[in-house]
Parts: sequence; C-alpha cells; structure tokens
Amino acid sequence: MTTAVQAVPLRAPLARSGVRAARRGLVKLATAILVLVAAASVTFFAQLLVPGDRATAILNQQTGRAQRWSAADLAPVNHQFGFDRPLLVQYANYVAGLFRGDLGTSYTQHRPVTEVIGDEIVPSLVLTVAALVTAWLIALAVILLTAKRNRFVSAIGSTWEALTASLPPYWIGVVLLVVFAVELRIFPVIGGTGASGTVLPVLALAIPLAGFLGQVTRDEFEKVLDQPFVITARTRGMSDTAVRLRHALRHSVLPAITLSGWALGALLSGAVIAENVFGRPGIGQVLVVAVNTRDVPTVSGIVLVVAGVYVIANLIVDLAYTLIDPRLRAS
Amino acid sequence: MSRFGIPRLAAAGGSALLLSTLLAGCGADATASAGGTKVQGGTIVYGHEQEPPCLYGGWVQQAYLDRNILDSLVTEADDGSIKPWLATDWKVSDDRKSYTFTLKSGVKFTDGSAVDAQAVADNFAYWEKGGNSTAKVSIDPYFKAAKALDATHLQVDLNKPYLPLLTMLTQAYFGIQSPTALKRSEKENCEQPIGSGAFQVKEWKHGQEVVLVKNPDYTSWPETAKHQGPAIVDQVVWKFLNDPVGRYASLSTGETNVIYDVPTVNWKDAQSRYDVQQYSTPGKPVSIYLNTIKSVFTDTLVRQAFAYGADRKAAVQAAFHGVIPYEGNPSVSQATPGYDAGVATAYSYDAAKANQLLDQAGWTARNAGGYRTKDGEELAIRFAYPAGSVFTSEGSTVLQILQQQWKQVGFNVTLIPETQAETFAGKYSTADSYDAQPWYWTSPSSAILWIVWRPSTEAEPNYSNSSFYNNDELSTVIQQGNSAATTEEANKLYGQAQQIIQDNAAAVGLYTQTTSLAVAKNLHDVWLEKSQGEPVFADAYFTK
Repeated sequence: MTTAVQAVPLRAPLARSGVRAARRGLVKLATAILVLVAAASVTFFAQLLVPGDRATAILNQQTGRAQRWSAADLAPVNHQFGFDRPLLVQYANYVAGLFRGDLGTSYTQHRPVTEVIGDEIVPSLVLTVAALVTAWLIALAVILLTAKRNRFVSAIGSTWEALTASLPPYWIGVVLLVVFAVELRIFPVIGGTGASGTVLPVLALAIPLAGFLGQVTRDEFEKVLDQPFVITARTRGMSDTAVRLRHALRHSVLPAITLSGWALGALLSGAVIAENVFGRPGIGQVLVVAVNTRDVPTVSGIVLVVAGVYVIANLIVDLAYTLIDPRLRAS
Repeated sequence: MSRFGIPRLAAAGGSALLLSTLLAGCGADATASAGGTKVQGGTIVYGHEQEPPCLYGGWVQQAYLDRNILDSLVTEADDGSIKPWLATDWKVSDDRKSYTFTLKSGVKFTDGSAVDAQAVADNFAYWEKGGNSTAKVSIDPYFKAAKALDATHLQVDLNKPYLPLLTMLTQAYFGIQSPTALKRSEKENCEQPIGSGAFQVKEWKHGQEVVLVKNPDYTSWPETAKHQGPAIVDQVVWKFLNDPVGRYASLSTGETNVIYDVPTVNWKDAQSRYDVQQYSTPGKPVSIYLNTIKSVFTDTLVRQAFAYGADRKAAVQAAFHGVIPYEGNPSVSQATPGYDAGVATAYSYDAAKANQLLDQAGWTARNAGGYRTKDGEELAIRFAYPAGSVFTSEGSTVLQILQQQWKQVGFNVTLIPETQAETFAGKYSTADSYDAQPWYWTSPSSAILWIVWRPSTEAEPNYSNSSFYNNDELSTVIQQGNSAATTEEANKLYGQAQQIIQDNAAAVGLYTQTTSLAVAKNLHDVWLEKSQGEPVFADAYFTK
C-alpha cells in the first residue's frame, strides 16, 4: 500500500510525458492518414478533370480503338461503373471504401484494386529497397576511397558520379542485359522475381542513384575534412580511415539521407523502366497501364500506396537523423 | 481490329540499333539443328509483347490468346478459303440470308458442358449484347438472329445477304465460350475464359505470364491443323516481354523458344539463326485519314497534293530497314482478299504535280517560313498520331521524313504525338481536333471497307469513319460488294470502292501492319493463323 502511494509522485511526470508522446503519436498518425486521403482524393479528381470520358476510354481500351461512341453504346458502361451517379456520390463512396480497406475495382481488370496492387507490390518493394541500399553502398565506397585523395583519384571519383548520375536507367539496363545476361550468361534476361533475376534490375536503378547520392555527399565530405575538429582528431593520432568513417562521414551523409526519402518513393513508381527491360512484374508497370487506360481506382490506389511509402520513408529519415546527429537527440 | 498498347520507351529503337551488332555476335546454342527426334510433351516458353487487361475481348492482343483457348465455328486456310472447325458443314439458303451449320457432335467445353447448337446461339447473343464489340461490328447490321434447330444444327439468319460472313467468323473474337462459364462473375470470365480449345488457362501471373496447359480431351481441332489430336506439348508459358531488346535477347539465351515481333534491326540476324515468319496484316493498312469536313483538307486538290507531295515509299523503306512493305492503297492492305493492286500505284512521289495542284487550289503565295498561304492563311496541317503504340520509333521516323518533304511543297505539318491516355480517351476523335491521323484496322476481309467508310449520319453515326468522308456512291458500291453472290463479283465492287477512296484522296497509304515470329530451330510447327496472325501452339513439338 505504502509502496503504491510512494510510487505515485514518481510516476506522475512519466505518465504525463507518456500522454504527451501518445498525443504526438496520434497527431502524427492523423496527419499521415490525412495526407493519404488527400493524396487519393487529389488523384481521384485530377483524373476526372483530364479531358475525355471514362466510359469512352473503357470501350476504346476493350476494342483497341480511338474513336467516339454513341450514347447507346456508352449508357451501359456508365451504368455498370456508376459514372451516371453524381460526382460527389462517387467520391463519397470511394473515400468511405478507403476506410474499409476497399480501394475499388479496376475498370479494366475487373479485380479489386487491393488484389491488383497486392499481386505486384512485393517485387516492387524488393526492387526499390534493394536498389536504394545498393546505391548507398556504391556511393559510400566511392566517396571513402576517392574524396580528398590526390587530385587524380578524386577526379576519377567525381567523374564517375557525374557520369553515372546522368545516365538513363534504360540505357544502363540494356547494357547490363547485353553484357551480363546475353554475353556472359551470368544472370537471366527475363528476370522474374527470383534472386538472380533481381540483380540486374537493381543495378540498373542503383547505379544512377549512387552517382546522384555521391555528388550530394562529396561536397559536404570535402568541406568537413577541412574543419578544425578533423585536424584536432588527426593531431590526436587518429588514422585517416577512422577520421573519414567516424567523423567526416557522419556529417556529410545528412543531405543524402534526406534525399533517400524522396528516392524511395521515386524508385517505387519509376521502376517501370527496369521492370520493362527485364520482364519483371511490379506496380510501376501497372501504374503506366492504368494511367493510359484511365483506370481511376487503380491509379488512385497506387498513388495511395506510393504516398504511404513516402510517409514511412520520411519517418525513417527522421529517425535516421537522430541516430546520426547526436545534437538532435539532445534537443 | 487495331492493336496498340503500352508506350514503348522512346529510346528503344536507338538502343536496339546500337546493340544489334552485339547481340548478333553471341548465343549460338539456341540454334540446335532441325530434324532430330520428335519429343512428346515439354513446355513452350513464348515471349509475347503486350499484356491485355482481360484474356477475352475485342482487341487483337486478346485474340492471340483466345485462338489457343477457344474453338470457332470455321477457320480460314492460307489460300483464303473457309474450312470446317466446330462446324463440319454449312448450307446457305437460296436467298443467301440463312446459314445452317452442322456441328461436330460430342465436343465438350473444358468445364464439362456440351458444345451444342444452343451454346453457339448463346454466344451470338452474347456478342450482340456487347460481350465483344469487335465481333458485333464485324457482323452488324447484317446479323439478325441465331437459333438452335437441334443439338447439332444451328441456323444463322441475316437481314440481307452478307458474303464475307464466314470469313469474318474466322476471327478469334468469335471463339465459342461455355455459356455456363459466361454466367460466372466478370472477374472469372476475365481471368479464365472457358472454351473447348487445345489449351486451357491454368494461371495468370499478372505482369508476368499466362500459363496455358494442354486440354487432354481435345477432339475439335480445325481442318487446317497440322496434326490430329490434343496438343503435343504439355504447357505454353505465355510471357509478356514489352521491351524489344530483352525479348529478342531472351531467344538467344534460350530462355524463350518463340518470340513475337522481332525488332526490324535484328531481322537479318534472326533469319540466319531461327525460323522466322512474317505476317502482313489484312484489313485497313496503316494509312493517313484526312479530315474532309474541316480546314484545308476539305479541298480534294489539296488532299491529292498531300498524297503526291512526299516519297512515302522511300521513307517506309528507310525507316523500317526494308523489312516492312510500303502500301500505297489506303483502304485495303495487300494481304486482304479483294485487294486491288492497281489502286495502290496512284500518287507516286511527284513534287511538281503536288505544286501544280496547290497552285490550282489557290495556295499560290509563300510566307517567310517557305510555307504556302492563301488569303493570308497558312497551309498548316495538324498531324496527330498515336505515338509509342501504333507508331513505334520506326513509324515516327517515317513521319519525320515525310514532314520534311511536305515542307518542300509548302505544307507546314505539325506532328502531334498522342499519349495513349489521350488516344483511348478519344481526344483526337472529333473533326475539330486534327487534319490528318494515321491508323489501321485488322480484318480478314475487304468488308472492312464498310466498317470504316460507312457514311456517318445523324441517326446512325459511324465514328470509325475518321476521314469524316461521306460518299453515297462509295456506300452503295461497298454494300453491293458485301451482298454480292460470288467472290469475283464482290471483289470487283470492292475494287471500285478502293478506287473511289483513292481518287478522292480521302486517306493516304503508308505501310502494311506487319508482325513476326522467330522460333528456335528445335521447335517445329508453330504457325500463324491466317485471319489475324495469332501463333498457334496446338501442333507444335520439340525435337532433340
């Protein structure tokens, strides 16, 4: 009894801070949901604002034509998909569905959008995350080995970054395909979703991104190496490698980490190029087809998923900041 | 029906060209020698291009698959004659308005239900009520009703005689599906059409492949089949490989056994290493519709000058590396029964003639840019084209070459590449939206003339008539052709129709839509169906 009484004053501040944390968490969650619904809503309306009628697009797509259709042809399609109902009703139904986890039914595939995305999201995420990780590994290796070395070595590093950052992934993909799949036969041409089939598409996306991340990091890295605390560290007898790894790197990766949040989302929706070259399934491909065919629920669903990935990626970026920069933890 | 799909990456053509020499130098192991011993079973891996949204439908991408899954009433032999398939025999009434088909007995759909006359009649009803709008447009307005006389006899009645009926029915859009299965949900019918064909759908891995397995109880092969009995191989894995470089490379590494549409830069290499087959699509070739009711092309002289004003033949030769044939006939392609070769020779390149016609039409002045003007108005052409789908990078090159030549005679041609979303949404489908637009339409018969050139009226608009060209004489001649008693008579009338379209320059010819197959040397008897060029796998076998 006494212990319990004694415990109260001890726990009270903790509980208060717990409430505050929970409130902060809830606010963050609510904001995230708001962002997602807003993304889906904007996509929903943006697609309706595009000139051209959805029923026409569906009929043209079913028949491979590009023409107008008579009212008699359009009526059953409008009715089937509910286009004849007021726009606000269509929207309200859509948003209500979102909260039930129902993203609607694809106009073209007649399957629930959750199923359309579910089929292809895993290979996309694997490709995206692997490409981001690989890009980081390549970028870091090049920076650590070449930045602020002798002029020749540094020049090789920065030229490599400038070159790869400007190469189109499609071109890299085709070169990798011809060299490693056709000539050397190390990897398959048709990637599929297996491990060996994933290597080349990952590289096709990772190489240009690595160049880009490297360019951003290199400037910072070189600046940091001139800072007084680095000289202090060196005078303490720290080795060059240790200085680079423990001091310089920590300071210089922050801009690239910020960009990684963006890169994750961009890779996910932009992976279509690598998917195309290596015959790999993924939502990039689905998104392109859905946009072309005005498959509104599918496009909105994929945008929702990509927005979700952005939200999560930014959360991870925030966390990564506090891990890397101790000053942020103190505040 | 036209075929088009997801935009190819603009760089594809260029890179393919760059790398074709690299590809040519490697991978000799896929070319195993022919004439080994025949193998029962095995899996054919087929590298196709586009993935359709559903496996059954009115788009040629769907017809490709459906030909292997569904059986039709009749089929077309290579010489254009109609051969038995599910129907063993047919009789035409004296007034040519009624067809009685006798069906093979004992045929079953893969769901176990019977392929009887009622089932076929139900399919006609299904197409007519919108189940397949391409099937519908192929027989409208001639089709009246289909009814079962007994289990094996079907009567199809027409509103008026329609000579191309049987030819039209050979298209895979008319594949017969199980009426029991059609009662399932839309999703199930989309994912797994049920027919009586040599293969059935086992699984569709979206974004990757459709796995077809052999129908072990297959009894209903067409008379054009190369062997009697169920399919020889166990499975066909139908992969969707959009990228031309990857698709062609997959054949050289042996990851696929057959591929669709060899890139033209690789055509010579493919000829030496694989069995290649080329398919010239019948129907309307890739030709340019000219808008005859709005702006400068309302004047026939200007349209004719446009046809004379550029060397279309040379442009096609150059851009397609000589692989795809030029087509001077804008309304019917050279692979179509009833094609008039004489019509195709008109408007060969003649800049002097083009200049003279434009002078005659009053476009005599030139502005600072060198373009012709009349009363201050420039001779400007809005040339919209479906880029990346119908027009690959090679097709776009043709248009760019022509654009330069049209400039010489005074046309200011603005090329407007349409995105596929715009194309599907019909952005360039109204008379106000373009002056010229190229397009094509696959069809096994000159009856395509009726589909495309039927006059558009208030009561019965014809939105397929993209030149907005109404000509009563043309309409009469085509209808007489469709209802003619004999093929000779029909072809004569169809020839007249082609001549009228050409004389009035309502459209301008470009090239024949051409597809191809390359087959590894150890795989035999993969053949292209005549009416639409689908690869048929029921007779194919491996040798070792």
